[in-house]
Amino acid sequence: MDFRKIGLMIFGFAAFLLSACAAQDEPSWKIGVVATTNIVGDVVAQIGGEHVELTVMLPVDADPHSFQPTPQDLVAVENADIVFVNGLDLEEFLAEMVENVGGEDNIVSVSEEVATIEFSGGHDDHEEGEEHDDHEEGEEHEEHEHSGADPHVWMDPNNVKIWTDNIATALSTSDPDNAATYVANAEAYNLELDELDEWAQSELAQLASENRVLVTDHEALGYFAEHYGFEIIGTILPGSSTLAEPSASELAALEDLVVDFGVPAIFVGTTVNPNLAQRVADDTGVQLVPLYTGSLSDADGPAATYLEMMRYNVGAIVEALQ
Amino acid sequence: MPEFLSWLVEPLTYSFMQRSLLAAVLVGIVCALVGTYIVLRGMAFFGDALAHAILPGVAAGYLVGGGTYLTVFWWALGAAVLASLGIGAVSRGTRLREDTAIGIIFAGTFALGIAMISSIRSYAVDLSHFLFGNVLGVSNSDLLLTAGFGLLVIVVIVAFYKEFMVLSFDPVLAATLRLPRRWLENLLLVLIAIAIVVALQTVGVALMVAMLVTPAATAFLLTKRLPRMMTLAALIAALSGIIGLYLSFYIGIASGAAIVLTCTAIFLLVWLGQTLKTNSQN
Ligand SMILES: [Zn+2]
Repeated sequence: MDFRKIGLMIFGFAAFLLSACAAQDEPSWKIGVVATTNIVGDVVAQIGGEHVELTVMLPVDADPHSFQPTPQDLVAVENADIVFVNGLDLEEFLAEMVENVGGEDNIVSVSEEVATIEFSGGHDDHEEGEEHDDHEEGEEHEEHEHSGADPHVWMDPNNVKIWTDNIATALSTSDPDNAATYVANAEAYNLELDELDEWAQSELAQLASENRVLVTDHEALGYFAEHYGFEIIGTILPGSSTLAEPSASELAALEDLVVDFGVPAIFVGTTVNPNLAQRVADDTGVQLVPLYTGSLSDADGPAATYLEMMRYNVGAIVEALQ
Repeated sequence: MPEFLSWLVEPLTYSFMQRSLLAAVLVGIVCALVGTYIVLRGMAFFGDALAHAILPGVAAGYLVGGGTYLTVFWWALGAAVLASLGIGAVSRGTRLREDTAIGIIFAGTFALGIAMISSIRSYAVDLSHFLFGNVLGVSNSDLLLTAGFGLLVIVVIVAFYKEFMVLSFDPVLAATLRLPRRWLENLLLVLIAIAIVVALQTVGVALMVAMLVTPAATAFLLTKRLPRMMTLAALIAALSGIIGLYLSFYIGIASGAAIVLTCTAIFLLVWLGQTLKTNSQN
């Protein structure tokens, strides 16, 4: 063995590493940002613009409830200046991830300060709930471990306005030089959200009150229903996570409700296996309508941004329930 | 009595319950028949391993067919046949004991499946359905497929009834009769593979081995004659499927687990009855 050669190789490699590090310290500094879902990522991109280097953790159509990060994801989280998460236990992998990367000082929950609703379980917190009591499907749901705040806050655009404030604040703290830009971007985006909300209100006004009923794959539309005046009759999967399976009795109770209420459609998100929903739809003779609830579509799909996603969903709901 | 009758009939008013019951009975019978050979030949570990080893097939099926059960079915069947023949090849080709060969192939293929699933990272490959089954989601076309393959298994078992019996009970006779032993053993492995893939949607991988061995083992306690053992095993399995789904309907527990628990309860009851009988005779 020629030790000089090895020494030379080590030296060369070290020099290469040093030059690589130096190259990274270019003047055009950007905030390194990781977002968990692509919905959070889209809103972050609207506000951070060119000043953030954004990595979205979940791929298109990945289910945020059951997602498991890879080592690469953990490296990205560890290196990021800010990690934006939806919070409220949407990302069930989060607690373990925080432990793995050693601390949560760079993690920002965009849903902080959102007025949450308890996910309905037995629909007890909706005034319209009494009608379901005879179907006795409430009790089983309550003992589900994910009881508590419903994490799907983005289905009401007004909650996303709180996101934009949280995101602008976090970005401004990391990068005070551009704080004015972040605040201005947030304000501009809030106007677009107001516009979206108004448009949705007027579109949904076409639906008569007896048609304002939703059956979904899991409890993803709680905030939508509360804000736009819908009632969630039932869900295929019990609870606000996708990680629970219905028993035969729960499925039977749901089919009864679909028939009793004359529900014309069952809505399924693109992140959930539609197999069971398809069976229920076939058995009860109603339509299965896809929505984007947990993930945007890919860039050339109909729901490439949050605003497009909500417009797509409102359009699909109006068409299905008219 | 009418109250009991309406209790019996009510679940049948839902078509998903009709389909689930049919699927559970069909799968139960197929698994019990094949399971009789598994119990007689001491292949329970092999059955469990094979159930896990089809994971890469399931993942590939989802990737290719985008979640349609039929595509998953064919790919899983391919993986199961390959894995079962692979186990035979490794144990013959390396002079390793068969259970060692099973361990190597089983863990290797299962890891391959998990690696494939982790690269897909969307709902498409739903690991929980693979592990625990989803009998309530059985469609009419799934049922037809199950029935078709179930029938195939039964026809093959009837056609090779004598050969399989000699192979299982009397290897020496099998040798003197010059039965094509290797060929028959491979055929049996393929039958086990089919039974596993057919049962995948009903109970899932985690509980599969129970469907294969528990009804057959219960029947083994009651009789030593092969035709009677097969009939009893099939009856016990079908009954467990029905009782399990009624339990799931009325108590609200997961269907696959309810079916397996019923199988286990029947086994324990029979075992207890046998023990009491022998004790009272002594
Ligand atoms: Zn969700």
